[in-house]
Amino acid sequence: MLTEIRGVSKTYESDGNKILALDNINFQVDDNDFICIVGPSGCGKSTLLRIIVGLEKPTCGEVFFKGEVIAADNPKVAMVFQNFALFPWFTVKENIKLALEALGIKEKEQDEIAGKYIKAVGLDGFERVYPRELSGGMKQRVGFARALAVEPVLLCMDEPFSSLDALTSQNLKDDLLMLWAEKNMPPDAVIMVTHNVEEAVYLANRIIILSRRPGKVMADLKIELPRPRNRKDPEFYRWVDKVYSLIV
Amino acid sequence: MIFPKVTISEIIGLLEAVNDAGGVEDAARLAGDFDLELDEILPSIDGAELLGFVEVKNGNIELTADAKMFLELGIRDRKKIIRDKVKGVELIKELRNRLLESDEQKMKKGDALKFINNNISTNDSESYFRIIINWTRHAGLIGYNSDAEEICLMAEK
Repeated sequence: MLTEIRGVSKTYESDGNKILALDNINFQVDDNDFICIVGPSGCGKSTLLRIIVGLEKPTCGEVFFKGEVIAADNPKVAMVFQNFALFPWFTVKENIKLALEALGIKEKEQDEIAGKYIKAVGLDGFERVYPRELSGGMKQRVGFARALAVEPVLLCMDEPFSSLDALTSQNLKDDLLMLWAEKNMPPDAVIMVTHNVEEAVYLANRIIILSRRPGKVMADLKIELPRPRNRKDPEFYRWVDKVYSLIV
Repeated sequence: MIFPKVTISEIIGLLEAVNDAGGVEDAARLAGDFDLELDEILPSIDGAELLGFVEVKNGNIELTADAKMFLELGIRDRKKIIRDKVKGVELIKELRNRLLESDEQKMKKGDALKFINNNISTNDSESYFRIIINWTRHAGLIGYNSDAEEICLMAEK
């Protein structure tokens, strides 16, 4: 077992009122899991992801990573953000190297590793380009390369495709699956938050459905669809319908 | 000359979608599937056609043998095909020739915008510039240094 989310709840205070955002969440993440957490907006799925990576503390419960309580600076966990979170004054390569510098990796090695992952995501030729010159899709490729460069065991992604146009998002999802299928590529497991059910069925081998606020685990489904998956396949739509019926 | 305002990623996304539909798909249905207006999806169809990845007949978009082969490849091998395809696009061929003839194989952005204006009837050469550079960077053919505001030939690998 890679990660365990055990009894996690989160309460916010607003104008003196206590609002329960997440209610007793429990699940485990194993090697080779590609988990999509889906649920209606406001169900606390992004909060849950932030708790899983250690960026936010739960009100009660705990998250364990390889048996230890998760810490925000865990180098084996990487994050991909919806809005890319790139430094505008750094080039593509510098943005990636920065993540490696934070791990204390030497300059020469930073160059090699950054180069390897720039190639892996198809960004070669863009090394010295600034984020402002990139399309959304290319920015998110930098986000992927930066996350993969630290060679994480667990990759967490918060709505990574939702600010991209439909066709670019399709292309990036397929590229992500290609990287995921490569045995010698990190990570060992992925947790992705999305509100898009089709996207979850396309990508995940497990879907965790959260209820409306307070977010509770309503279902934990294994998606037994062979890959490559085809969105035009009637069987694919049966799964999409099934997930919808559990949310609505 | 017409040049489609679309990125390489969008074109590949379109190919993947047509492939999911079995290699042929109706343009209107594709637009519907992606929640796009027909004229929003047209540039990606034009782009795919310009690169020889699809043939368009009576509103149907059909993958060419090249596209089918392309979709079988991984990210890195796809890049090589994109390079060959983009190399063959008339406007880009012409731009590369200009660069080859120029000193140090460089051109000021202002001159590149003029080149675009002369070849594409547009009052929006800036956004065409971004698109053309998106294509040529993908292909590893022409880069752009935004500090020096210059485009230049990229080294063959």
